[in-house]
Amino acid sequence: MSVPFTVRTHSRQVCSLYKRALRNLEAWYDRKNIFRYRAVLLRQRFDKNRSVTDMAEASRLLAAGEQELFETKHFQPRTFANSAGGCAFEREVIPPDWVIDYWHPLEKAQYPEYFAKREQRKQEFVAWWEKQYGKPDPKDLGHH
Amino acid sequence: MSLTQVVRSCSRFAAKSLRVTAAVSSTAQPQMRLMHRISSNSPAVSALLNQNYSAWQSQFVRNYSAKPPLTLKLIGERVLLVLKLYDKIDPSKLSVDSHFINDLGLDSLDHVEVIMAMEDEFGFEIPDSDAEKLLKPADIIKYVADKEDIYD
Repeated sequence: MSVPFTVRTHSRQVCSLYKRALRNLEAWYDRKNIFRYRAVLLRQRFDKNRSVTDMAEASRLLAAGEQELFETKHFQPRTFANSAGGCAFEREVIPPDWVIDYWHPLEKAQYPEYFAKREQRKQEFVAWWEKQYGKPDPKDLGHH
Repeated sequence: MSLTQVVRSCSRFAAKSLRVTAAVSSTAQPQMRLMHRISSNSPAVSALLNQNYSAWQSQFVRNYSAKPPLTLKLIGERVLLVLKLYDKIDPSKLSVDSHFINDLGLDSLDHVEVIMAMEDEFGFEIPDSDAEKLLKPADIIKYVADKEDIYD
């Protein structure tokens, strides 16, 4: 379904399918008791095939499960507020830390204590980096 | 009940009572027929209005403010409470450092359910790539604290 950025084991894929299927049930059945009943039935269907050791059969079952989830997908699934598709997604934009380095010197001069501490922290980070990973190769310095 | 409906029902009530008083005593002053005078003067009607108003106020109060501030201790208590209420976990064996799969005997699908319960408890999504690393209650506490930017 999605672009694979990493190798996901079969069991991870099954867990992911189980989670999406449960969330899909939650979207369909908003009464908690009915949802719990359906969730137990779903769990039983997963548990029935837990001892399948034949990999071809297992991947066929997984594909069938994905297909079933695709066919029964809710048209307007519930999402968390800050997740993609939620009502508050990307509402609060937190600027990255390096933006402060590009403040005007006059602006920086209004907060002398903070910027003195910031420069000190940068030096400490460079020292920590060199201790951890060694000095950088001079031919790697400069990215142009 | 919207405000227009309240006003309409009040005026209907007032008209009815007026008709009764008019039938009983024919000496009712003609200006008492004016609806706005009656609705503002009659104590029953104004009480009804006030009552409806307060009910309307209490019914539609919604809190748009921020969440109550979390602390590490509070996160830990909430995580452990959710885990204690899960029927496949024995509360006597549960501690902050117990491994879900090795110590508590859950399987991977139970772990998925635990992570979903944590998502519902704290109100944000935990992606699968992070969820597979959260194998102890301590990991979940740390993850939630990192996410909510809490350090004490």
